[in-house]
Amino acid sequence: MMLSRIADSLFWLNRYMERADGLLRVVRTNYIMSLDKGSDNAPTWRQALTVFARLDETECARLEHDTPLALKTLLAETDNVNSLRVIVTKARENARGAQDHISKEVWEQLNQMYHFVNQPKLAELLSGAGALESIDRLMRQSMLFNGIAEATMPRALGWRFLNLGRYIERSLITIEMSDRQFAAIGYNLEEPREILQWKYLLLSLSGYELHLKMYRTSNASRDVLHQVLFDPSFTRSVIYALGRVDRYFTDVLAESNRVDNVSLSRYFKSLYSSVRYTDVDIIPHNGIQAFFSDVKGRILEFGKRLSQSFFSYS
Amino acid sequence: MSAETILHHYESKDGFWDEMSAEKTIRPQYAKVYDLLQQMDVGSLQQKEKLANELFLNQGITFTVYSDNAGIERIFPFDIIPRIITAAEWDHVERGIKQRLRTLNLFLKDVYSAQAILKDQIIPASLVASCPHFTREVYGITVPYDIYVHIAGIDIIRGDNGTFYVLEDNLRTPSGVSYMLENREVTKRIFPDMFTSNRIRLVSNYPLILHQILLSLAPAQMARPTVVLLTPGIYNSAYYEHTFLARQMGIALVEGRDLVVDKNKVYMKTTNGLEQVHVIYRRIDDDFLDPLVFRPESALGVPGIMGAYRKGNVAIVNAVGNGVADDKAIYAHVPAMIRYYLNEEPILANVPTYNLRNPDERKFVFDHLDQVVIKRTNESGGYGMVMGNKARDEELQRAKNDIHNDPRGFIAQPIIKLSTVPCFIDGKFQPRHVDLRPYALCGPDGVQIVPGGLTRVALREGSLVVNSSQGGGSKDTWVVD
Repeated sequence: MMLSRIADSLFWLNRYMERADGLLRVVRTNYIMSLDKGSDNAPTWRQALTVFARLDETECARLEHDTPLALKTLLAETDNVNSLRVIVTKARENARGAQDHISKEVWEQLNQMYHFVNQPKLAELLSGAGALESIDRLMRQSMLFNGIAEATMPRALGWRFLNLGRYIERSLITIEMSDRQFAAIGYNLEEPREILQWKYLLLSLSGYELHLKMYRTSNASRDVLHQVLFDPSFTRSVIYALGRVDRYFTDVLAESNRVDNVSLSRYFKSLYSSVRYTDVDIIPHNGIQAFFSDVKGRILEFGKRLSQSFFSYS
Repeated sequence: MSAETILHHYESKDGFWDEMSAEKTIRPQYAKVYDLLQQMDVGSLQQKEKLANELFLNQGITFTVYSDNAGIERIFPFDIIPRIITAAEWDHVERGIKQRLRTLNLFLKDVYSAQAILKDQIIPASLVASCPHFTREVYGITVPYDIYVHIAGIDIIRGDNGTFYVLEDNLRTPSGVSYMLENREVTKRIFPDMFTSNRIRLVSNYPLILHQILLSLAPAQMARPTVVLLTPGIYNSAYYEHTFLARQMGIALVEGRDLVVDKNKVYMKTTNGLEQVHVIYRRIDDDFLDPLVFRPESALGVPGIMGAYRKGNVAIVNAVGNGVADDKAIYAHVPAMIRYYLNEEPILANVPTYNLRNPDERKFVFDHLDQVVIKRTNESGGYGMVMGNKARDEELQRAKNDIHNDPRGFIAQPIIKLSTVPCFIDGKFQPRHVDLRPYALCGPDGVQIVPGGLTRVALREGSLVVNSSQGGGSKDTWVVD
């Protein structure tokens, strides 16, 4: 049992921190791959900007080839509501409101990251040759945050809400990133494509090495779709994330006696089953886009219902 | 340059009581610290200063300054050199505060029930009636064990001959205790060797004592009463302290919107529905506590909470209406209260205070404006204070006009030459003025004071204003045996 407001804050604390983590992985991959100017696969910043910054077409076109400006927009800009700086600040604000429910170590780590992204010279650091070093440092801070939370947070209700936030956010990021990559090939799985073409997505989701180990069939597009949606051993797959949501949600329900628990539980199970009991072969060829959008819509709806049940306090 | 040389350059100011040096000699309580400092060089002291600042910053012990529309977080200035009080000095201060707190609790009970002290004309009834913090809404409410002041932060200063005086009684929601506790933790990190060579009395049990007192106030005899700390929220400047105390006591930190009153009982809204709350340590001012009774626009409080309080279904700490006892005009009468209620002589002296409603005293003050400090009776934090020796002519004129219009709203006191202690500033040891705020806790078993308190220091050279809102910092404070 805990204050609804605290549960809400913990949920959003980790949603933002997971988003920060996802953003940093994308930025790091993008930055490194954009250095391979000779290859056809060198990505521009377009995809990262469309996912993590709300820009119109002209803005996007202006920034996509300008690494320093793109980095500034994605990491340091306060006008971009999904920039790292804004997300980490929001995470910290939630942590501040729930400070007596997170461990001192978690709070201190988050503070360090907060002060790093809010230093006045951040934009300068990101514009020069030291950009990658700063990105790496931020990435490490983010991983430390997760590790310290893992090592020091009590396994009580707060931990469950933290994880609900993390895995709901993670499933959404994976869907969003994958959907855009598959859109780029017209959702056509039949045309043969090289694994190199998928490297950007897989590295952004930290799944490239796993892919090389587990899949080496002739149809890379199919394999990638399987990995991001259905591979339970891949920690950024949709099925893995929903499996974690299932676990923490079950634990939350076990301690709760609210009347609307049953219908909320059914809603989630139906969503979970729709991913769990399907496969790449079962999704119709022309239905990949619809599948992504259906699952995404239902995850968002579940998040909304969850908050109505457990977080309503004002 | 080694610290030995810079210590030798330390010069206390003539006409002030320096707590470390007396006529070129070092007072015995400072001897060991002085010896250790002599062995360090300026670089390593600056390193320690930097480490201390990082520790505060990473723990989020900060306040926000706004410039260019961007908030930058700063720490409250901390001076690394501890301030030392002897056991004998502390014994005197402790007895004085206990006596004062017993008296002020009796006064609050009296003024909100029989009002004997007014009827006996020890304190003019008009003075109480005209106090904006005299809260008619709580007249007749009984509180557990007749304790109104559970937590007091009585400000103590030392004059030019070392005498201790009470400067003001903070009996509402005194803050700063987390700095007292954190300052100690940080000092342990930067000067562990000083702790091995001195016998320093412990302060870290403060939250445990406070928690025991809060538990004892639950309205009914129950095994596990629910105690909460009510905060105005994350934008309050003392928010860090609220989270610190809540976690040190293991109690829930709630905001007004987390609480709801139903049938004169207070509940908090949890993931599992409503749960009753029995004791509230509130860090919200009276005015904002209940929009149905006090300020109707308050969004920080809980509608109906005063009803629950009146019924005895919830204990509120500190009690509502305490402001009448720490009003600066009523302060002048505390020595008379001590004689009246306890039949004892005050152990700690008041700073002489001029009553500006009295035409003779007012005239005297106006004739000696350069020697007094003028304070508003109902402000704290150093706001509305005019230092007669520093203020410009137009400020003094404005103060005079304000006093003419509302003599009850002001008091005047002679400017006390606050004692000085050594501080490490800009790579040098320099004397700075300090005060002392010990935190006293009052429960069914009497008054307990953790040894020491928060030393606030006026970091600007020559300044006598120690408030954090006016450029003050703080120091770790030791009571040594």
